[in-house]
Amino acid sequence: MSVHDGPAPHPLVGRQRLLVAALQIASWVGLAAAFVGLVGPGEVRDLAAGVFVGVVVGTPFGRLVWLMVRWIRRGDPRFAVAAGALLTVVALAASTAWW
Amino acid sequence: MAGTIGGFGGAVLLVPVLVTLGVDPLDAAPIGVVTVASGALSAAPNQLRSGLVHQRLGIVVEIPASAAAVVAALVSVHVPGTGLRVALAAVALAAGVVGLSKAALHNPPRPEFVAEPPAEWPGTLGGTYSGPGGPVPYHARRVPLGLVAMAGAGTVSGLTGTGGGFVKTPVMREIMWIPVKVAAATSTFSTGITAATTLVVFAGQGRVDLHQAAAAGFGGILGGFVGARVQDRLAPATVRRVLSVALIVIAAVLVVAR
Repeated sequence: MSVHDGPAPHPLVGRQRLLVAALQIASWVGLAAAFVGLVGPGEVRDLAAGVFVGVVVGTPFGRLVWLMVRWIRRGDPRFAVAAGALLTVVALAASTAWW
Repeated sequence: MAGTIGGFGGAVLLVPVLVTLGVDPLDAAPIGVVTVASGALSAAPNQLRSGLVHQRLGIVVEIPASAAAVVAALVSVHVPGTGLRVALAAVALAAGVVGLSKAALHNPPRPEFVAEPPAEWPGTLGGTYSGPGGPVPYHARRVPLGLVAMAGAGTVSGLTGTGGGFVKTPVMREIMWIPVKVAAATSTFSTGITAATTLVVFAGQGRVDLHQAAAAGFGGILGGFVGARVQDRLAPATVRRVLSVALIVIAAVLVVAR
């Protein structure tokens, strides 16, 4: 397929401000949690390190869910299915590893 | 930071260095994966805002990559380290040489696309990238072959904890004809998912030390912040050369780490 075969770009592409904001917040929370997990005292340090790992693991999967819902709503079913398939792989990985 | 700029993840440098310093490869892998996931997390807002990352392409290539990474992570505890490092060195060297030798511009600027925002096109694996010479439309080529190669990248990630981005970016660029900056940003997004998935498996195996993860993640996030901003300002040819030279250096480090 040549570059000329693509459809006309949607006028709203790239305007994912909510997702950008959410990712920014997750980044700063992750950075703060990692810092406290590195230098914090006792149980606070343990808790912060756990929060950090949770943010690092949870954010990309949350982004996948967000994109899947967005593409369902905007009539882009093929890629919504792709996102769902990827989430299924992750769920199977978790169940296999933790079983 | 270097990993985000090149789209290959800093762990491909960190893990061989840790192994060289005497860390067991099985212990180094989770640290590397945390670094990759952290760098991807911190680079994500800027890359998404700039329109460089192609999320649809990233998710499509990530399906075989994550599936392979899960299988590889599950079997990694049974794999000897020496042969794996040699294989990694060969892959990195090949990717670096290919990147330096092929200077062909797959996607020339097209002035008629000047009104288009730099973003992916809904429903396709194509989009427009705002290059220095004007808007550059592109569309992913040879997708099935690219997906097979991405499974290889996932295998590398699951076995070694290096993320696999150093395979994904050249594959997107040379096989799928994605502009290098889009390939690097999309690889960072995709590799973040690979790393998170691999980390879930490593955690299930009891291989994740939370405090080591926090230390590696702090550096990874800081590096990602800086790398994403630098990436947005560099010329594609510069990114390509930096990535290729880094890959050759990585190959040498992997051989030395034996």
